[in-house]
Amino acid sequence: MNENVIQVSGKSEISQIMREIARDLLQQKTVSLVIGWEKGILPNKSAPAFITQSHDTDKLVFDEYCYHNLTKYLLQRKGSGLKTAIFVKGCDSRSLVGLVQDNQVPREDICIIGISCPGLMEERNTVIPAKKCETCYTSIPVEYDFLIDCPDTKTGDDEPGGSFAHRELSKVENMTLDQRDTYWQTMFQGCIRCYACRNVCPVCSCKECCFDLTSPDWVGKGNNTSDNSFYHLVRAMHVAGRCVSCGECERVCPINLPVMLLNSKLSLSIEELFDEPPASMNLDDTATLSQFKPEDPEEFM
Amino acid sequence: MRKIAKTRIDDVLRALASHYDLYVPVEGATTRTSDVTLWQEGLVNASRFRLYEEGLPLYWRTNTGLSPKDLFFPQTEKMYTAVSQNKTVEIYEEPADAKPIILFGVRSCDMASIDCMDRVFLQKGYEDTYYRNRRQRTHIFALGCSTHEDACFCTSMDIDPQAAPAADVQISDLGDAFGFTPQSAKGQQTLAYIDGFLSDAYAATPLPTDPMLINVPLAGVTEKLETMFDHPLWDELSPRCIGCGACTFLCPTCYCFDINHKSPAHTHIVKQRSWDSCMFIDYTCMAGGHNPRPSKTERVRNRFLDKLLYNRQRHGRVFCVGCGRCVAKCPVSLEIATVIQKIQAAEVNP
Repeated sequence: MNENVIQVSGKSEISQIMREIARDLLQQKTVSLVIGWEKGILPNKSAPAFITQSHDTDKLVFDEYCYHNLTKYLLQRKGSGLKTAIFVKGCDSRSLVGLVQDNQVPREDICIIGISCPGLMEERNTVIPAKKCETCYTSIPVEYDFLIDCPDTKTGDDEPGGSFAHRELSKVENMTLDQRDTYWQTMFQGCIRCYACRNVCPVCSCKECCFDLTSPDWVGKGNNTSDNSFYHLVRAMHVAGRCVSCGECERVCPINLPVMLLNSKLSLSIEELFDEPPASMNLDDTATLSQFKPEDPEEFM
Repeated sequence: MRKIAKTRIDDVLRALASHYDLYVPVEGATTRTSDVTLWQEGLVNASRFRLYEEGLPLYWRTNTGLSPKDLFFPQTEKMYTAVSQNKTVEIYEEPADAKPIILFGVRSCDMASIDCMDRVFLQKGYEDTYYRNRRQRTHIFALGCSTHEDACFCTSMDIDPQAAPAADVQISDLGDAFGFTPQSAKGQQTLAYIDGFLSDAYAATPLPTDPMLINVPLAGVTEKLETMFDHPLWDELSPRCIGCGACTFLCPTCYCFDINHKSPAHTHIVKQRSWDSCMFIDYTCMAGGHNPRPSKTERVRNRFLDKLLYNRQRHGRVFCVGCGRCVAKCPVSLEIATVIQKIQAAEVNP
């Protein structure tokens, strides 16, 4: 890893350093695009920014509303051979590692500018930490070319698969079978199938999604609890072993459904079953479900 | 104006519910009262209109997270069932309900969106029978806003958050009471059922609405867009879009649907229509595989031209009512208020 660490004295300085790095990269033509964040229409809104001109770099910001995991956007550059610089928080960096591991993005085409994340806030309540930050144990990016190192860095839980995810899950696991059934049915019934959770997910990198196919139509276009359940369960299985718990699916749900629960359950199960570290912590690792070891558990055989 | 204390609103709702199918703004995902425990356990869904039941957590603060459009235009609606028997096919239409409906507490923005939907489904020379059936038997009680969400911008769309002239009854927020003013004969008739609970409110002034945070004047936008089909703005905006359908499904004026069927048995086919979204890749996909809107650029352009230009040409008004749902919920803030600002700032004939 290229040790290009820039120390800042506080989170208010991060934006300025971002602009400087982006300007240099664009001016030197090291990259042709910088993906970062800019200010949105409201003070409590930030939005993804695509910067191609060095004089536009002043738009870049980092504040407590930069929720967006930008790494999914790298798929738009797939196969172009063009170089892209991208800003990542700790959680985002893992999904970038996942995209490289899945051969979706060549590592050498990406200039990763990491930000050791001081934590995000709930959009509606500026004193409550964002829900996705509660499960965080990687506020410092796991992979970067430049790192903006901020002393205010904050993690939620201090261990992988930490107590927050367990606590959320145990609420459901402690229900009786009937209660749990009602719980999931209510959740799936509430889904409007806008596919925001799928489209924002950096692990959902398929060029063509099975849910978009009309022939065969694996999932009906109609909204009903059965098709909705099918969608959520299949998606959870498709991202199992690769989900990095960035929390984007749950953040974007317009119905505020606890979309992360199923993913958390599968992540924890995989960690327990295979005794492997969480997904995409290290570029040299292979995803747990993409490898075979003779000692893998096979109780189902 | 006649009024009732907010604490006694349940008396009014109970009385109306005994004569009408009464829909009220409800917090969370509660389809049944028993689900309230689940809701408290953190399964917090968006607020929406639900059939009234005592004990539901009512939501009076601002407009609901989900618009009331699904009451007239359900996300999935059964149209008919075809059954094959002895080499013939019988068609069974869905029986139409007849019970009158009250939609209670609709905000001015959503009332304006119902006007948009009426233009599409009733006023273009063809009446959509499914829509008409629900719309005609619905009495609407609009509720004036004394506060707003950060994302609200109805005033930019020339909508008065305090007044919805097309509603049958206007409810005003009087602070500790709700004031009722009939605005149509239908409204007069519904108020007769609750008159016993109401008292006179002489010279009562509704609470004013706080000034909104978003101000995006529409002046000139439609005219400008007529020249902007090939403008580089669309290439600049579209990379940000993630292509989900959140904006279209939350939008109270989005009316696109797709007709499909399911087959519960090999002798049965149920025809249904479901909301579709122009942001989905397969929306314009033709049978032969050709897609006239192949990339996000065409899809994003279409959505905003449709809202701000095409619908004004086709239906006589801009199809944005400033409800702010896309502003609040677009996962990447590529929403109409931002886009209007960008259009205003764009240089034409570059």
